[in-house]
Amino acid sequence: MKTRSSWYVCGGFLVLTLGACAPSTTAKPDGSAARSTDSSTAGNDARAGEGERGGTKEATTGASSLKDMQEGKPPITPASSPLKDVMFDFDRYDLSADARATLRANADWLRSNPSARVEIEGHCDERGTNEYNLALGAKRAQAAREFLSSLGISPDRLSTISYGEEIPVCREHDEQCWKQNRRARFVILQGRTTS
Amino acid sequence: MRRSQTLLILICLLLAFTRIAGAAVTGEIVGQGGQRFPIAVSPLKNLGANSADSGRVSTGIADAMVHDLELSGWFRVLDRSAYIENAESGITLGTFDFKDWSTIGAEGLVKGGFSIQGDEITVELRLFDVYQNKERIGKRYTGRVRDFRRIAHKFVDEIINQFTGVPGVFNTRIAYVSNSGGRFKEIFVSHLDGSEKFQVTDNHTINLSPDWSPDGRSVLYSSFKDRGQTLYLFELYSGKEIKFTPRAGGRYLGGKFSPDGQSIVATLETSGNTNLYLLDRSGNVIRQLTNDAGIEVSPAWSPDGKQIVFVSDRSGSPQIYIMDAAGGAARRLTYSGSYNTSPEWSPKGDRIVYTGRVGNRFAIFTISVDGGEPRKLTSESFDSEDPTWSPDGRFIAFSSNRAGKYHLYVMQASGDNQRRLTGSGGDDTKPNWSPRLD
Repeated sequence: MKTRSSWYVCGGFLVLTLGACAPSTTAKPDGSAARSTDSSTAGNDARAGEGERGGTKEATTGASSLKDMQEGKPPITPASSPLKDVMFDFDRYDLSADARATLRANADWLRSNPSARVEIEGHCDERGTNEYNLALGAKRAQAAREFLSSLGISPDRLSTISYGEEIPVCREHDEQCWKQNRRARFVILQGRTTS
Repeated sequence: MRRSQTLLILICLLLAFTRIAGAAVTGEIVGQGGQRFPIAVSPLKNLGANSADSGRVSTGIADAMVHDLELSGWFRVLDRSAYIENAESGITLGTFDFKDWSTIGAEGLVKGGFSIQGDEITVELRLFDVYQNKERIGKRYTGRVRDFRRIAHKFVDEIINQFTGVPGVFNTRIAYVSNSGGRFKEIFVSHLDGSEKFQVTDNHTINLSPDWSPDGRSVLYSSFKDRGQTLYLFELYSGKEIKFTPRAGGRYLGGKFSPDGQSIVATLETSGNTNLYLLDRSGNVIRQLTNDAGIEVSPAWSPDGKQIVFVSDRSGSPQIYIMDAAGGAARRLTYSGSYNTSPEWSPKGDRIVYTGRVGNRFAIFTISVDGGEPRKLTSESFDSEDPTWSPDGRFIAFSSNRAGKYHLYVMQASGDNQRRLTGSGGDDTKPNWSPRLD
């Protein structure tokens, strides 16, 4: 039942960071609970976020795509987000020149906001089967994570999740729409920009 | 060659029914051959004193039988409005006139009656041979009134056994994913005619890849309901559920029960890589089966449990592979097309059904387990995906967007007689056909 109540309390922060909002949660083997409580500032930020999502002047990436879906909102990265989406070709997870340029800019922001932890979401277009697309989305998220890591961003700050084809930004059935859905999206889990 | 064989088998079956009394026929009807067996299904008589609900049950049982007979592709059910028999006619041999049925072109006839006592219903059903003026099957069933359609499905399974030597598969259920017109994807199970629909999940997230346990009592599925994605095993009758906890940082994307029900082959994703693992029924890892840097997903078992068919992108695009159930080297099965996924092994063991990309569309194919030329079963003027075999291997259910949204369809294993099963307001996908049920 604790899990259930945490679900509602944690809101957008629940994915992979249950420890951040449920102080009594036991440490997980990957150490995420320990990380989430290593700074009292981070904890306060998380609690502030519950009350007024997006109501602050701080830069925001929006909530996780699953949270967006549950609230009936399209999982769009806000134009003001400091972390931009990285796009992919059909059935590919290699990074284009554009994708690498976007990731370099994202890395710059992550370097100047060292307390920020980010979840990288992998997404696919609707073509193909669900399970293959979940695997493909995981590859896309991981490709972005590894490139950021190669630029000096600690992989400990970057978690990944794949939503496959399940949470599209655009729901039409054509290439114009599909290409918007083949992306890695970056969601800030804790920590806020200072500028 | 194939067409003439089909025709010959069908003619033999028709002869067996109408001329050679009691002959046991074994074999497969692989196509319609342009001819279906004309059969009449009379609404059932109320034999009891309780007349509440009588009309609904009488036509309900008949309608369920008509649905199944039409879906099988082997019968042409004569329209009820053409029946000329008067209401006083009986349901047993000698109490009605076969001429009333031969006149309208029926060669087979189903008659029956029922009585209701409290929550319990007793149904007797008979199949008559109109040419020979004989009774072929007589059965009596007892059950709960609300399960009356299940009795109809069981009797059609008997009728199909009479014709083909193998019982039908209508007393089964389909597990599937539906968004019911909303945002969330939940797991449902229902009979093929949509009756006894039951919602397995209601967690307002994404639930995928339902798979029946071989005893038909549980459904394995993947869900995002508790943070990361993992597998859950839900017991339909008790409502008990087990969560499979993946190793730290890992996620289970899907899984399939072994034919003996003792183990599960699952896709585990860690650090972007997906590999196949053998698990026990509680979700404990028995061993890792693949170790590849690419994508390894969508495993399914051979009917003898000795081999596993799965999808890998190790060649650069998703293709179908077969490996030993103990792991080890894999043999590539598909070479035509650049995108082949979601394989399932036929219950007879001879063919694999899968989804393949044709241009910008997806179609259902089958291919021999020895390889060779694939057979395309659905048109590329729309998408058809997620094929699943019936427990007898004579039918394939799948999802298709040919009517706009995704609905579930059933066809014969040859691709003939494609019929829609579901019509919910949303998208129905990922069907998984149950084993035969009690």
